[in-house]
This record gives sequence, C-alpha cells and structure tokens, in this order.
Amino acid sequence: MYIHQHTCISAQETFENINLDIIHPPVGNKLVAKEPVYKGIPPGILRRMGKAVRMGAGAGLPIIENYRNINGIIIGTANGGMEDCIKFLNQIIDYEEGMLTPGNFVQSTPNAIAAQIGLMATNKGYNITHVHRGLSFENALLDAFMMLKTNPEASYLVGTVDEISAYNYNIDYLDGWYKSELHPGLSLYDTGSPGSIAGEGAAMFLVSSNRKNAIAQIRDIQTIHTTDHAVLKEMLREMLHKNALHTGDIDLLISGENGDIRLLPYYTEVTRIFNNTTAVVRYKHLSGEFPTSSAIATWLACGSSLPAHLFQSGYTGAAAKNIMIYNNYKGLQHSFILIGKSFGS
Amino acid sequence: MEKEQLKQQLKQQIVQFLNLTSIQPGDIKDDEPLFGEGLGLDSIDSIELIVLLSREYGVTIQDPKEGRKVLVDINTMADYIIAHKTK
Repeated sequence: MYIHQHTCISAQETFENINLDIIHPPVGNKLVAKEPVYKGIPPGILRRMGKAVRMGAGAGLPIIENYRNINGIIIGTANGGMEDCIKFLNQIIDYEEGMLTPGNFVQSTPNAIAAQIGLMATNKGYNITHVHRGLSFENALLDAFMMLKTNPEASYLVGTVDEISAYNYNIDYLDGWYKSELHPGLSLYDTGSPGSIAGEGAAMFLVSSNRKNAIAQIRDIQTIHTTDHAVLKEMLREMLHKNALHTGDIDLLISGENGDIRLLPYYTEVTRIFNNTTAVVRYKHLSGEFPTSSAIATWLACGSSLPAHLFQSGYTGAAAKNIMIYNNYKGLQHSFILIGKSFGS
Repeated sequence: MEKEQLKQQLKQQIVQFLNLTSIQPGDIKDDEPLFGEGLGLDSIDSIELIVLLSREYGVTIQDPKEGRKVLVDINTMADYIIAHKTK
C-alpha cells in the first residue's frame, strides 16, 4: 500500500507551512492542536463542528481537493467528538430529557468525521470509522490494505483524529495516565515518573496500490494486546522475518516513548532488538499522548527529512529507507508499522 | 423586561446558541431576516431557536406554520415572547 499525500494538524507547525525546528511546549500539561484557518469548510458548517470534526475535515479535505475520485474514506478515532458527546449528555440531565438541540448530538458520534468529509466532498464511496482505542489508526490502515487487495485500482483517504476533551483528560488524569506537572526545562523523557502529557491532532493519508510517484510504502502492520514482553519481541522478529528484513535493515525506529516510566521497559526492549545502525526518533514531546498518535509517527515517516533534535540516537542526516514505528497505548495495545521509502517509481 | 432590552438579550442568545463566532450581537438588525439572505440560518438552526425559546422563555412553538411566522426576525421573535412567555 502506497502513500501519495499526507497532511497533519497537531500541536506543532505541521500543516501547510511545516516547520519542525520550532517546538511548541505543552501548556497546562496539554499539547493543544494549532488549528489552521479552515479554508475549505463553509462558515455555516464550520460553526457547528466540534474540534475533532473540524480537525479531521480540515486535514482530509485538502487531500480530496487534489484527488476528487477517491473510492472511500476510512477513519480511525478512539473517541471521536467526545466534547460534543458530553455536552449532549449534560443537556439530557440539565433539561430533564426534555427539548434537546441536534447540533451536539450530530457532531458527537465518532463516525461524524468520516461522514462530514464524505458530505462536503460529495463522496458516496466506502465510508467507515474504526474505534479501537489505541489501535484505531492501525485498524483503519488494515482495512485500507484489505480494500486495496479487493480493489487494486482504488484509492482511499485514510486517517485519524482525536481531541483532548475535558472528559477524557480528567478521567485519564485521575487514572494516572497524565503527569500532574511537567517541570519547565525538563525533558518529557527524563521525568522518571508515571504518566505522559495529553495531546491531540489529525493525520490524513491518500493511499493506493500505485507505486508511481508515491512518497512511502506501508509494507506491514502488526498489532497485539499483551503485557508480555517476550510475546511482543517475538512478534517483531516474526514481522521482520516475514518481510525478509534483518534488524540491521531498519534505518530508523520511530518510538512512541511517552515519558511514562511504566511503559519505558517495552520501548527499551524493542529498541534493544535493533543494533547501532538503527537511529531512534521520539515524537510524543511534539504530539503529546493520545490513542491515535501513531498516525503522527506515520506522517513524520513520510517526510523527506527529520530534524536532528528529534533523534534520540543515530542521527546521520541520511534519508531512511526502512522505518519501523512502534507504539504502545496504555501498556496493553501495541503496534508496529513498517514503512519503506525505497521502492523505485 | 422592556422590548428593547429583550431584543438585545435575544441577539446575544442567538449568537451564543448558534455559535455565530464571526457576528457580534450588535451587528444583527431588528428587522434583518434570520433565514436566507439575512443571517443565513438553516433548518437545523430553526430547531435550535425553538429550543432556545422553550428553555429561556418557556415559549412553546408546536405548529410549524406558527414557527414560520415567529422566526422571521428579532422583532417577530420578541413580539411572540412578550405575548406568550411563561418564565
């Protein structure tokens, strides 16, 4: 499966005028997305959109503008428009199940993002949303893989969105998944404490089976629910073997390390499988932690070059040919995405 | 509440309820059509306005034909509220 175009809205300057040399730090322990001026969305529709729908449509529509004939829209989101969902549920309580307005309800369902993109682009093709928490993006990719096997001539918009809502932030904070405070000047990765920082964003990709002029190839995706380190390592080894690769063939590992000391052993063990020729990049200090953040890693992998400051080790300045993304959500949901950048055209 | 005060309050509520971020309450004229060429509201907004009248003023519009006469502009809404409000 080949990627032909990619967009990203995140807490950094990743949309339109991309600049990863400047890092915007978290504010109040949250990396809030820098939303652009949404040119392609009519104001009358935009004012009703919740943030998740806005970011998703804002990132997806520019791709569809260039590729009007896509065959479908496949979105992964753990929570969809959670903020609007809670507004709607609160209305039910506040108004004693009386008169409720439709706006928040319409925007609150996870499939509102794919639906809105489809409506605005007048795309009547395959339209589906995968909601599998920390593996939502990976399952959207797997769906696209299967669709392209069935329809080799097709192309799809595949992407993810997740927003920070007061609801999911507070619940996850109380559950220990976010740090109480990130001291200024201290790296996210050096805190030695449980929890990470909250993030949000949207990343969209145009995928097809056509390698001509592609910017990257998604070669393989593996996911697993486990807490067993040995099972995880074995899965990675099998994945490399299946793709006729040795650990030394992977130029770049994009690690989802998020500053949570409890998850660090997983990332350390995966990193140790590779040898010194594999560079390691971390990105959660840019994006924050959210269930579909591996899409941000995929967006980074599609870029032509990554700035030196993102590298934990092994920066050479050379473009990577084989990239492995490893992400771990809440210590249970693991994913590996293998990306190739050298496939001819 | 006097009619003029009610109209100002209505404008603020319409901007807030319908999330009209690019419009200031003072920009809405009393006789400016709410739908179509005026504010450009649509059918989903009409439901939001009916809910607004019910929640804030205890005014219920049950007949759609009646709604079309009430939700014309700020003047017609204010007149209807004064005649029917229960809050």
